[in-house]
Amino acid sequence: MDFFMFHLMPYPHVPANFDEYETSWLTYPNKHFDPNKGHLLYHQYLDQLEYAEELGFDGICVNEHHQTTYGMMPSPNVMAGLLARRTSKVKIAMIGNALPLRDHPLRVAEEVAILDVVTGGRVVSGFVRGIGVEYFTFASNPAHSRDRFNEAHDLIIKSWTSDEPFAWTSKHYRFPYVNIWPRPLQQPHPPIWVPGYGSTETLDWVAKHRYTFMSVYAPTALTKRWLDMLREAAGRHGYEADPKQIGSLLPIYMAETEQEAHEHAEQHLMWLFHVGLKHKLEYLFPPGYMSVGSMRGMMTAGIKPFGLYTYKELIDEGYAIVGTPDQVREKLTELHDLLGFGTMATLLQFGDMPHDRAIRNMELFASEIMPALRGRVPAVAGA
Amino acid sequence: MHESSRIDVGGVGVHLLRGGPRRDDGAILFLHGAGGAGVWMPFHGLLAERRDVLAPDHPGFGGSDDAEDVIEAMDDLVYHYLALIEQLGLTNVDLVGSSLGGWLAAELAVHHPELFRTLTLLAPVGLELPEHPIQDLFGMSPDETVAAVFHDPSIAAQIFPAEPDLDFIMGLYREKISFARLAWSPYCANPKLERRLHRISCPTLVLWGEHDHLVPIQHGERYVERLPDARLQVLPGVSHAPFIEEPAATAKAILDFVG
Repeated sequence: MDFFMFHLMPYPHVPANFDEYETSWLTYPNKHFDPNKGHLLYHQYLDQLEYAEELGFDGICVNEHHQTTYGMMPSPNVMAGLLARRTSKVKIAMIGNALPLRDHPLRVAEEVAILDVVTGGRVVSGFVRGIGVEYFTFASNPAHSRDRFNEAHDLIIKSWTSDEPFAWTSKHYRFPYVNIWPRPLQQPHPPIWVPGYGSTETLDWVAKHRYTFMSVYAPTALTKRWLDMLREAAGRHGYEADPKQIGSLLPIYMAETEQEAHEHAEQHLMWLFHVGLKHKLEYLFPPGYMSVGSMRGMMTAGIKPFGLYTYKELIDEGYAIVGTPDQVREKLTELHDLLGFGTMATLLQFGDMPHDRAIRNMELFASEIMPALRGRVPAVAGA
Repeated sequence: MHESSRIDVGGVGVHLLRGGPRRDDGAILFLHGAGGAGVWMPFHGLLAERRDVLAPDHPGFGGSDDAEDVIEAMDDLVYHYLALIEQLGLTNVDLVGSSLGGWLAAELAVHHPELFRTLTLLAPVGLELPEHPIQDLFGMSPDETVAAVFHDPSIAAQIFPAEPDLDFIMGLYREKISFARLAWSPYCANPKLERRLHRISCPTLVLWGEHDHLVPIQHGERYVERLPDARLQVLPGVSHAPFIEEPAATAKAILDFVG
């Protein structure tokens, strides 16, 4: 089992009249960002990620989101750059660069390659499509999203694995001279992770390329379905999925007593789901971002907007794990048996959780949870 | 009375509604907007009392096939309609387009001015006027859309089911994807269209709803300014879909113009 500490770097301060805004993305005014508070937060969050190495995590994760209080990382590569020389052992995972939003995907290839060379090959390169609202942010046509993702991916992989200049022509990208300097250090290229919602197309694509899939914000039952689908897809492509290909991202919170754990977690988790993930549906699902078939599937899956979940529902359905260290260890052991993941991404700071609580949560995870799960073989994983 | 048929245009199956007396002196070709495909409305019927009216569905809309590999942008749709006009042997066409269809109509007339006897643009998009932005339809909720398109939102209840089923919602989603392919960015515009409008020599009527909450009337004024032979007529008491809100007044304005 590999343990990663995932960060979203939320900007937790919201005005008293926050309820008047229909979303915390895109149109939520940036006057609500105070750069002086941001200065403090960036340093606390980066301290947390650096501390993860000291605590024995295998990796740390940064990500990309735009125009929102949900997270302050429009560029994961800049964040990874800040961490590259302050760490020496952990993997640094950018989960991930939003490929279709780029008109120049080669810039991603170059930046990830720099980081890979500087860190001596500690980079994990996540590729994502970006979420629907970000197609408004970049005026990028959501109807082209999947094509652009596939083309940009193919271009980046070829740019990393070719040692001679080549010309690239695809529907959305044309570059007569591709010849990136530096080339990545890891061969043939850094590992690729794809987080997200488990559409059939995505899971089959991930399995075909033998990449790592990471489930995000889903009830346990749905996560189980996705991870089983990934294993089945790997089988279709003629191999057995490596546990490390199977990842899950989970908000986790621990305190000495169950009551205290829930008291704290409720506040921070509700910030994440009701403030950070406050979306306007028309922005979140622009036309073509999902195919007609996938949209039909989602509308019949019984998922509701994050803002409508109560704390109890989130806990009961498995969106987050909260309790004493003993309770959390027991729950994660059960989940490990059920889901069979070999890559565990933890969200140990989430929402408006202050620095001291995040640090304590990380320490408890490292001392009370990691030793029990590391090297553990799941009892009944698999489809 | 009208008939519904399917024709093949360059490999794309097109759903065509047609009604009214066939005459030797040409037909009205009506091009729908982002909504309103596939339905013969009272407005069509009023035009068809006097004229031969053809109302095809754009590829990706109504009963026509999806054709995402060949209709990627507005210029592809222009060539699709040039093929349709040629295939049906239409000449002396009185071209009428609403909103997105108005933009399409202007592009067609720029491309082949000699094909068209008259041009009627119903609150067309197509021009890029940053100082008079078109409201963002893609970001609107269903209620916001109704409030923008109709001056009297209760009109929408006559068109949309009170409790739409999944197939109805998916149908709208499919058309929104087709719309996005044509109009996501630049939003509802071809920045080059304005400087090409001088090519349109036929008489043009630009109709605008008095209370258009979606596309500012300055777009209509700019069309009239750039077109060699055009006038602007305002239809009172309606928003962006006058042919739905006031079919009689809209049909009369068009018939008075085209004769």
